[in-house]
Amino acid sequence: MSFTEQLAEIPWGLIWPLIVIQLILMTAALIDLNRKRSTNGPVILWVFIIIFINTLGPVLYFTVGRRHS
Amino acid sequence: MSQFSLFLGKEWREQARSFKLVWVPLVFIFFGVLEPLTYHFLPQILDSVGNLPEGSDFTLPEMTGADVYASLTGQYQTIGLLVLVLAFMGSLSGERKSGTGTLLYVRPISYAAYYMSKWTAAVLLAVVSLWLGYGMAATYIVQLYDHVPAFSDMVLFLLVLAVWIGFVVTLTLTASSALPTGGAAGAALGILFIGMMIDSLVGTYWTWSPWKLQAYGLAFLTGSPDSGDLAGALVMTAVLAALLVLFGILQARRNAAKAKV
Repeated sequence: MSFTEQLAEIPWGLIWPLIVIQLILMTAALIDLNRKRSTNGPVILWVFIIIFINTLGPVLYFTVGRRHS
Repeated sequence: MSQFSLFLGKEWREQARSFKLVWVPLVFIFFGVLEPLTYHFLPQILDSVGNLPEGSDFTLPEMTGADVYASLTGQYQTIGLLVLVLAFMGSLSGERKSGTGTLLYVRPISYAAYYMSKWTAAVLLAVVSLWLGYGMAATYIVQLYDHVPAFSDMVLFLLVLAVWIGFVVTLTLTASSALPTGGAAGAALGILFIGMMIDSLVGTYWTWSPWKLQAYGLAFLTGSPDSGDLAGALVMTAVLAALLVLFGILQARRNAAKAKV
C-alpha cells in the first residue's frame, strides 16, 4: 500500500476536530508564553513541551507551567 | 449587587486573559472526541500497535452509546476533575499572593460579592465545558454507535452531572480561600479522591453523597435511578455546597489580612 493510499484511508472527517483542538491549544499556550515569559523552569523547555507533547503539553503549561504572580 | 456585577466583569476578563476560557472547554471537548473514536477504532488500533502473538483473537464487547458515555464519565471523573481543580486552585489564594488582593482589600468590599462572583464565573465555565464535552461526544456517538440514549434522558443526565461539577468547583474555591495555592489543590483533590474511595467501599450503604451523583446520572441513560436516593444525594450536595460557600466567604475575609503588599 503506497503512502498516499494510506493517507486516504484515514477517516479525516472524524479526526479533524482533534487536530484543530491540538493546534488551538498549542497556539494559545505559545502566545501566553511569549507574553509572560515567566515560568516554573526554563522558558525554552516549556516551548518544547508545548509543541511536542500532544494536547497534554499545553495543558501542563497552563496548569503548572505558568507562574502565578 | 452592583459590586457583584463589577467583580463578575473582572472575573470574566481574568478568565479570558489567562486563556482559561479557551483551554478548559477544549480539554473537555478533546476527551469527548477521543473516547468514542477510541472505542470505535479499537480493533484497528490493536492491530497496528498490538505486538500480539500470531493467531491471537479477541472478541471485543459490543459497545452501546450508553457504555461510551459511562466510559467518558470515568475519564472526566479523573482527568476532568484534575483539570478543574488545577484551573481554579489559585482563584483566591493567587490574588492574595500576587498583589491583586491588596488593591481590592483596602476598599470596603463585600466579601460575599467577591466570593460569589468567583463562584459564578468558575461554575459557569466548568459546567459549560462539561456540557460541550458531552455534546461533542454525542455528535460522534450518534454517528458511530447503536442504541443511543434518548435526548430527554441525556438532559437529565447532564443536569445531575452539572450539580456534581458545581460541588467540585465550590470545594476548590473554598480550599483556595482558606489555604495557599498548593495546599488548596492538595486539599481539594484529596477530599475528592478520598471521597471516591470511601464511596467505592461503603457506597452501597451511604446512598446520599455527592460522590454518588455521577452514578445516578449515568443510571438515567440505561434506565432510571432510585428517585428517593437521587433526591437525597441532590439535597445533601446542595447543603454541603452552601456550607462550603459560607465557610469560603468567612475565610476570604479572614485571610484578607494575609495578602502580600
